[in-house]
Amino acid sequence: MTARFSLGIDLGTSNCAMALTDLETDGTEVVPITQILAANQSGEKLTLASALYLPHPEEFRPGSFPLPWDAGGETGIVGQFARDHGALVPDRLVTSAKSWLSNPHIDPKQRTLPWRSDSVEEKLSPFDCSRRYLEHLKGAFLHTVQAQGRDWALGDGQIVVTVPASFDEVARNLTAEAAQAAGLGSVTLLEEPQAAFYAWAARAGREWRDAVTPGDIILVCDVGGGTADFSLIAVTDAAGNLELERISVGEHILLGGDNMDLALAYTLQARLEAEGKSLDAWQFLTLVHEAARAKITLFENSSLSEAPIAVPSRGSSLFARTIATSLDRALLSEVILDGFFARTALGDLPQEVRRAGLQEFGLPYASDPVISKHLARFLTRSLQNVRASDELAALAGARADDTALMPTAVLFNGGVFKAEAIRGRVLELLASWNGGQAVRELAGFELDLAVAQGAAIYGQHRATGKGMRIKAGAARSYYVGLETSRLAIPGFRPRVKALCVVPQGMQEGTKQLIEGQTFGLLTGEVAAFRFFSSAVRSGDTPGQIVADAESELEETSLLEVELPALPDVPAGQAVPVRIESVVTELGMLELWMNHNNSDRRWKVEFQVRTQ
Amino acid sequence: MRVVLIITVLLLVAVSAAALVPVAEPIPQYLALIRQYLEPARPYLPPATLALAVLVFVEIFFQPRRTLPPRTPAAEPARPAFAGPPASRAEAEIVQFLAMLQEQGRLVDFLMDDINAYTDAQVGAAARVVHAGCKAVLQDHFRIDPVRSEPEGSTVQVPAGYSSDEYRLVGKIAGSAPFSGVLVHRGWKTDTVKLPQLLRGADDGLPAIAPAEVDVK
Repeated sequence: MTARFSLGIDLGTSNCAMALTDLETDGTEVVPITQILAANQSGEKLTLASALYLPHPEEFRPGSFPLPWDAGGETGIVGQFARDHGALVPDRLVTSAKSWLSNPHIDPKQRTLPWRSDSVEEKLSPFDCSRRYLEHLKGAFLHTVQAQGRDWALGDGQIVVTVPASFDEVARNLTAEAAQAAGLGSVTLLEEPQAAFYAWAARAGREWRDAVTPGDIILVCDVGGGTADFSLIAVTDAAGNLELERISVGEHILLGGDNMDLALAYTLQARLEAEGKSLDAWQFLTLVHEAARAKITLFENSSLSEAPIAVPSRGSSLFARTIATSLDRALLSEVILDGFFARTALGDLPQEVRRAGLQEFGLPYASDPVISKHLARFLTRSLQNVRASDELAALAGARADDTALMPTAVLFNGGVFKAEAIRGRVLELLASWNGGQAVRELAGFELDLAVAQGAAIYGQHRATGKGMRIKAGAARSYYVGLETSRLAIPGFRPRVKALCVVPQGMQEGTKQLIEGQTFGLLTGEVAAFRFFSSAVRSGDTPGQIVADAESELEETSLLEVELPALPDVPAGQAVPVRIESVVTELGMLELWMNHNNSDRRWKVEFQVRTQ
Repeated sequence: MRVVLIITVLLLVAVSAAALVPVAEPIPQYLALIRQYLEPARPYLPPATLALAVLVFVEIFFQPRRTLPPRTPAAEPARPAFAGPPASRAEAEIVQFLAMLQEQGRLVDFLMDDINAYTDAQVGAAARVVHAGCKAVLQDHFRIDPVRSEPEGSTVQVPAGYSSDEYRLVGKIAGSAPFSGVLVHRGWKTDTVKLPQLLRGADDGLPAIAPAEVDVK
């Protein structure tokens, strides 16, 4: 197939965006997304709020929200109106579905959202929500290209969907599966920080090769509405050509711009309450909105010392009950810069809260709001990861000697970094950790749309086979747990050993047969295995055993494989199998159990732990 | 016709807002310009323009009522949504635009309230809500540029074949184009109008400007 276009989809935690590269004309453009904007309006916006509102059956007339591509089969409204209206009816609003996809405590295919709601008629699963967003984006894309007079079908293009670098393989596979269910076919996955880098390189044009030099380590620092995501990319010289390799990815941190706006609003609310003015829930939402606007005004215009804020009442009298206050620069700096981007030391890592005995289930929001500390932790862990493998240690070179792997350059992404003051603070922080030596900034652009554009550009590189590629491979190494058989000792749980089945950096389109470890599977039964991962053990090789999986690795999910009853095997007899791992061309991880004595094989399914 | 009336309302509101915003604050440039232009008439402006705005407003929105059936009694029984005869699409779209100004900028609340009962500080605070919201609506749906980019008060040339939409020549007009004169008002124009689509059945009446809001417990 000769691809005619490449479509990049940024499936964000709080906002989605799409960009398109026409492979014939070689131009990349952001695709506007038709959506419901208000109770009786539809129109286009450059982003789609990742919000799904489930209306009460009598709330709106049937067919009140027609979309050009919608057959009307499903309830629920996606986009701007869903978010605006749902903020006032929170019991019926689904947000942050994407973060639930990577939550190890729930099954992403169980109908659990809106979380803790007791009023919706039928809940949706995180997987369904992602599928719904992708279906909407697909419809909007086809609608737009048709309106432009292009006769493209989805099969004519390369489709790239971005995922956080912090997503594990289970969440990545679920995203790809959701895209398939949404009718997008087999999509390629790309990590968001890498997408931001492709967008930057495409914008810098031929000069990008001059902007980086071999030996550079580039930090991609992506703070969106709801999540913070970090990656490191090493630049090396391979026979005169620049080569890029993603050498480290961060953890899933639920902390972003929305937290900052909320923090400002809470501070302002406390001040208003001290003056004897109280706000109702609706006014508080308006205050969040207005505080965000005032924040942008102050950050964009450094000559202003304060920005006024007026919060009207919900009633129709605007004059009598509008509450006036203002956001001053000192408060802004205190809350945003010193609150979220404090000047902390490199050794100052995020505080782990002591878990209460009974913990409320929910999204694992970051308990420490200081992004500086999360960044320090990422750089420290990166060093640990790089040191674990000789190959990576060579890439990092002399920079691998310190307490953390310090970058030489930084590329910012995400709406938060539109503020020069925040970028400045992060650069200052990095320089202070780097012994006073400045870390240079690679100038990004359109920080909230770059990921979608980078994804479209990556799709173009894939489809044409031309253009730069970041060497990435598997972001983590993966392990299958093996129960140790030994004498039971009261009070001591037996250690779980783990067998490495996927090494970090395993490339797309490769297979790995694990020699030396044979499992016995009973026919006609489901066999379950524990599945672990690590982002900091780059040196582990397939077949290697980790002695204490529970303390050294992170548990990701359960693996299940069912062998049907085989005609040539007596019931109850174990069939010897070996594990083969495959990273598909599209970047999906698959595990197979191969029969030792024949070419029969069974696919292992990922199951989410439910306890 | 209605479009003209709506724009009149907008301009009148902008004028009164310009006159009402307390002088100390940094105010947006266009309000400053309007205010500068209107400075001599300032004392008479707020009451006059507001009264005019309300009149125009009443004219726009009470006219269609004449064709509606008589009002239902105060304790309203449940009635089918969107009662009333079908309204033309153009009218419905104008109401929808007004609904956007109300939703985001509380424009109708601002105009329908009794302004005389409140202090300038209260009116000023309310004007900020109207200004921020209505400005956002304008920016989202129009691209607005000045007709002339030169500073007001400078001498400009009006080219031959100018559009009478874009220029209003005043003073002493003689000879032939190009005309030279002092730029009194730089003018505003838009070349992009991108209004959302109104979702509405063929038999629906006019949409509400703002729905009554009920907090269900």
